[in-house]
Amino acid sequence: MRRVIVAVSIAASVALLAYTTTVAGALGYLGLETRTLARMFLALTYNPDLRELTAMSPEAVTAIVWDFRGVDTLYETVVFYMAIIAALAIYRGVSRVSGGGGVGLSLIVRVVTKLLIPMNIAIAVSIAVHGHLTPGGGFQAGATLAVISVLLAVVYSVNSFSRVGVDISKAVALRSAGLIAIAIVVFTPLIYSALTGAQAYLMQSYVKVDSGFYFPVDVFGQLISGTLIWLNTAEFLAVSFGFFIVFMLLSLREEIVKQSLLGEGRGS
Amino acid sequence: MALNTLERFLLTLTLYNLLATAAISIYGIVVRPSLTKKIISLTILGDALNVLAIFIGFRVFSIPPVLIPGVELELFVGLAVDPLPQALVLTAIVIGLAVTLFLVFLALQIYRLYGTLDTRRIRELRG
Repeated sequence: MRRVIVAVSIAASVALLAYTTTVAGALGYLGLETRTLARMFLALTYNPDLRELTAMSPEAVTAIVWDFRGVDTLYETVVFYMAIIAALAIYRGVSRVSGGGGVGLSLIVRVVTKLLIPMNIAIAVSIAVHGHLTPGGGFQAGATLAVISVLLAVVYSVNSFSRVGVDISKAVALRSAGLIAIAIVVFTPLIYSALTGAQAYLMQSYVKVDSGFYFPVDVFGQLISGTLIWLNTAEFLAVSFGFFIVFMLLSLREEIVKQSLLGEGRGS
Repeated sequence: MALNTLERFLLTLTLYNLLATAAISIYGIVVRPSLTKKIISLTILGDALNVLAIFIGFRVFSIPPVLIPGVELELFVGLAVDPLPQALVLTAIVIGLAVTLFLVFLALQIYRLYGTLDTRRIRELRG
């Protein structure tokens, strides 16, 4: 009863506050205007007339994520990297995923999942490589692909990871490949600068006022938006296999983890 | 291009709802003794604040910030929603997920080692 009274009073006070604010017009024209900064981003996201300023990507969100505010995203990739390193450090010495019996769910579920997994991979790759054209990008595609690891663990049991040939060390290698690809794209302008002596900036994508370095905007008439497609694809690899590692660690058998933990305690 | 009172009320109500959700989730993080419930409250707080950020960039009569062939640039700039909160929320979601995963691993480890997730009992543990 007390909980109901608390819930009702919170809801009533929120509604009353909203009503008074509306009647008084205290918030002005909510949701009717675009900020100047937003107008600038929108005007520059795909603008071939202003080659020194534009990101050449019709998708404004991806343009901001990897071009206008690219260094932010780079730091964020580092945060994600550190979180997975921390998870791996907690589980150091526990790498065996298989062991024990376990056949998974019923035949119907397993067959349907078998049909779903190729579609999932196709959708994830499509989201990643079209990230600069349509809503989507590396993070979303990575999260989409990571669903497969949960499906495998739940539907086919934990043993299926070794059956399909994915283990933690392979996932770590693929994730590192993605991160190295991001680093290569980020540092290419600096390497170019060191080799030719010309001016170039970190994460530079196109021609700037004082720098002639640029990544190709299109390939055979297809828009690839300079660095955006490469960074999206690399981030796709890094994020999806990062999640693979995490879900594989979370689905480890309790006995194996306990054994490793206790063994470590005795050693110290 | 004007809203009637009901529409303005609903927009304002959404804003206050998000703030109230954030406040309740902070209460959950601070007061609840169970680590699991603290983590759940933290994810609710993160989601409420992400939706709040999207809400700040939202416009009522608008199109998505994706330039479609055939749409004039001036029309696009005049109509599209603010893409910056969306980009920031995109990164915030991934960071939030990474933090949540790390906390889940820590909580799992605490449970395996000490057999409890109650902070009142964890505090009393020695060695």
